[in-house]
Amino acid sequence: MVILVSLVVPAAVAVWLLTGGRGVSHRTANLLASAASVVTLAGVLFAVITRPTVDRAWVPSLGLRWQLAVDGISAPLLLLTAILGVGVVLHTLDRPPQGGTTAAFHACLLLVEFGALATFYARDAVLFFVAFELVLVPMWVLITRFGDPHDAAARADAGGRFVLYTAFGSTLMLVGILALVAKAGTSDLDVLAQGGGHGIPVGTQTLVAALLVAGLAVKVPVFPVHTWLPPAHTTAPTAGSVLLAAVLLKMGTYGLVRLPLASLPEGFAHVAPVLAVLGAVGILWGGLACLVERDLKRLVAYSSVAHMGFVVLGLSSGTRTGLQAALFANVAHGVVSALLFVVVGGLKERWGSADLETARAALREVTPRLGFALVVGLAASLGLPGLAGFWGEFLSVYAAWSPAADRPEGLFRALAVVGALGTVLAAAYALRVLRTVWAGERTAPRIEDSRDSEWDVIAVLVLAVLLLGIAPGPLLALTDDTVSTIIGAAP
Amino acid sequence: MSAPTATSLVTFDWVALAPVAVPALGAVLVLVVDVLAPRLVRLHAAVGVLALVAGIALAVPGALRSADDPLRTLCLPAPDGACLYEAGPLASALQLGALASALLVLLLSWPGADPRDHLRGGPAVIVSLVLAATAGAAGVAAAHDLGSWLVCLELATLPAIALVALRGDAPAGRGALALLTTSLVSFAMVVLGAALWLLSTGEAVFAAGGVQDALADPERRVVLLLGALLLLAGLGFKLSLVPFHVWTPQAYAGATEPVAAFLAATSKVAALAALLVVVQPLVGAGTPVLVGIGILAAVSMTVGNVLALVQDDPVRLLAWSTVAQAGWVVLPLSALDDDSAAASGGYLLAYVVATLVAFTVVHVVTATPRRRGVVDQGRTLAAYTGLLRAHPLLGGALGLALLSLAGLPPGVIGLVAKVVALRPVVGAGQWLLVAVAVLNAVIGVAVYLRWFAVLLRDPDEGPARAVIRRIPRSALAALVLGGTALVATSLMPQLLLGLLG
Repeated sequence: MVILVSLVVPAAVAVWLLTGGRGVSHRTANLLASAASVVTLAGVLFAVITRPTVDRAWVPSLGLRWQLAVDGISAPLLLLTAILGVGVVLHTLDRPPQGGTTAAFHACLLLVEFGALATFYARDAVLFFVAFELVLVPMWVLITRFGDPHDAAARADAGGRFVLYTAFGSTLMLVGILALVAKAGTSDLDVLAQGGGHGIPVGTQTLVAALLVAGLAVKVPVFPVHTWLPPAHTTAPTAGSVLLAAVLLKMGTYGLVRLPLASLPEGFAHVAPVLAVLGAVGILWGGLACLVERDLKRLVAYSSVAHMGFVVLGLSSGTRTGLQAALFANVAHGVVSALLFVVVGGLKERWGSADLETARAALREVTPRLGFALVVGLAASLGLPGLAGFWGEFLSVYAAWSPAADRPEGLFRALAVVGALGTVLAAAYALRVLRTVWAGERTAPRIEDSRDSEWDVIAVLVLAVLLLGIAPGPLLALTDDTVSTIIGAAP
Repeated sequence: MSAPTATSLVTFDWVALAPVAVPALGAVLVLVVDVLAPRLVRLHAAVGVLALVAGIALAVPGALRSADDPLRTLCLPAPDGACLYEAGPLASALQLGALASALLVLLLSWPGADPRDHLRGGPAVIVSLVLAATAGAAGVAAAHDLGSWLVCLELATLPAIALVALRGDAPAGRGALALLTTSLVSFAMVVLGAALWLLSTGEAVFAAGGVQDALADPERRVVLLLGALLLLAGLGFKLSLVPFHVWTPQAYAGATEPVAAFLAATSKVAALAALLVVVQPLVGAGTPVLVGIGILAAVSMTVGNVLALVQDDPVRLLAWSTVAQAGWVVLPLSALDDDSAAASGGYLLAYVVATLVAFTVVHVVTATPRRRGVVDQGRTLAAYTGLLRAHPLLGGALGLALLSLAGLPPGVIGLVAKVVALRPVVGAGQWLLVAVAVLNAVIGVAVYLRWFAVLLRDPDEGPARAVIRRIPRSALAALVLGGTALVATSLMPQLLLGLLG
């Protein structure tokens, strides 16, 4: 019941905003969307605590059911999505969107939230795919209509790339899902995970796992299919960037855990080394790109590629620690990248561009709040102990150093070294950015510091970054049970 | 039971035949009314609409039966016992699709609604042609012997040529000529194929038993497969499968929009229904037919999508999209297992609903007179700039239709249809074909989003706001019917897929 409330409320309000409420003022739309997202958050919170389930037939001739539930893996992501859902709506309060009606903007935010929540709730493989596709069109509208107002061609290009890359990935994933369902005879994710691919020949398992991994890798994104991400982030409005980084990318990693890793462990074992290598390449590639990137938003996007590399590396190791690390890094990256995108998006609005080569007033001098938030965000992003980014990356590298017995140890150890090198690169680019925009004595041109709703959102995110860093225990405990059932008794 | 005389055992059930007979009678009735009261043009249209509504109501019982117990009539005497007319859920669902799509076409061509009024012959001719072709489409879905199958197939085709030609200008003439030529070639191939079928199976009925016997014998097998390939090629013309598709953009662009909608929806239902009648007994026929269908599907999708990507005339875009979608429609048949016929029918019906809504909006936007001083952008994509905000009903319906065709939520029915179409092919492990389909799913997204992006623009950038003053009531009815079907099936895809048994 609460599950349905948390899905129906954002969807219904979004539909009303798109139809009956098209002409409402910015304040009304924002108020409505805020109310909807708060109710959704309450519903999700309740669902995470009480763990109800929903199971209703939807398309019997396809065997497709509305099968929704919460477990340790989805709970943190559901919470993250619902909290950021409130965050992005609040953040929009002082920023009437440009490029279209405010009602449409809010409706798109709510629809993205709805699609992401449905994806994390779904316990049927085909329903998972349908929910996965739900976010595409609203996100595309956010990028192409409400993105960077300076450059229409760039918006069209970024939106087109986003939607075509991810549609390609999800169709590949659909093929994988259909093959999996055909071989295993069920589309229930729990049954699939219990079955663990027994009775399916290893060759077929490997093929299906490869299809699923390839499809989901586009969404994560894993090197070399990450090229849609930087332009999408650069042009999307701040709220869109936050949802993109903190929620949409997580759907990819979540899918990797649910589908190939849990359902086809043997097949995934064969694909994992390749995935791990690509993840490690992504860590280096993202880090190196950040060292030379001139556009601050694009830089944060490349750092996302690097962080998702750590997540993928942890996933591939095949150990409980690795999976725990990946899930933790997933959530941590959600929070950290949301913080960074709010700050960087705010800076771009104030500066008029996000070019790092232009001389600007030092943030430390003119906007201490934004400056502080940027320092926290980048520090977390480089994996400083005591902040959110640390645990996931540290544990990922640790898991890669001691992978599961069926993984090639030498390769994974080498990748662990590469991952450690990646953290050095992260430190280098974080310090480069801070030196350029934060430190210094210049005080002109003056820009306004963060206040009101923007500062509220930033403050909550900074707190979350600190909390996850200081006390990782509760989150690790939340995922622990489900991780044990997926990986088994392995260390 | 002994068989005293042949005729005494032939069953004859009017109710079972009604989905075919009622539109056919309607076609005649319209002509009679035209003779008696030539001025009452609305009455002509109303008779047509009533005939189709009655046909729809009478086709429902067949759709609700189980697949093992189809409606049968015109059964031959024992010992063969074959029935010439057999309407199970799949055939009835296709009949429903044909009848309902023809209903929308009649609403769109309601007399007086289109101020350009450029169809010759008056409403009675149009209505009776549409009804006749629809009767053919409904008949071919249930026909189980070569004779009535051929007659119904041609009955579904020939009036369509006349409908295209009725516009009377040069493009219409070219379109009708293209359609006529291809129809003749296709007829020749179908007849030859039917003859080979008869020769190899030794019976004039499409039945699995005779086919299995023929397949077992190596010599007859070759003849049967050649016949099947010829039938496939002949029907490929009607389904607009590449390389038999060349007439499609010409005929669509030459015809009026309602007639183009008829070609895109009702005619395609007839063509697929005819194909399914042929293909179903062939389950187990082996590779040549499968490979043939697979190649046609892959090439049609690719060529259709790529060419749709560069069109600027929405009708031509929809024409190439038909070609691409026809590839998706026959895709599941290349797996040729028990589910693939229903999958193919399901995909077709989802496509029909979406494409009809798109044609309805194109018709309204093109046909409504412009305000004075507004540049008429005619049939270009630019005429749709900002439609979503300038006219939410039209924009919303077209947007949903395009997203359904692209297979993206909120057009869930299109997405579910893609799942339905891919499932048998993935199950059969035809990875090459699957790879082509995946690529085409992506190009398809690009095709329809390109148009959708125009709808999303700021209305101040273009003339859409100034163009549409009011929607004619009949077109509005068509829009509401089609739009409701699209929304309802997107929320509950079972409404559509459940029809197929």
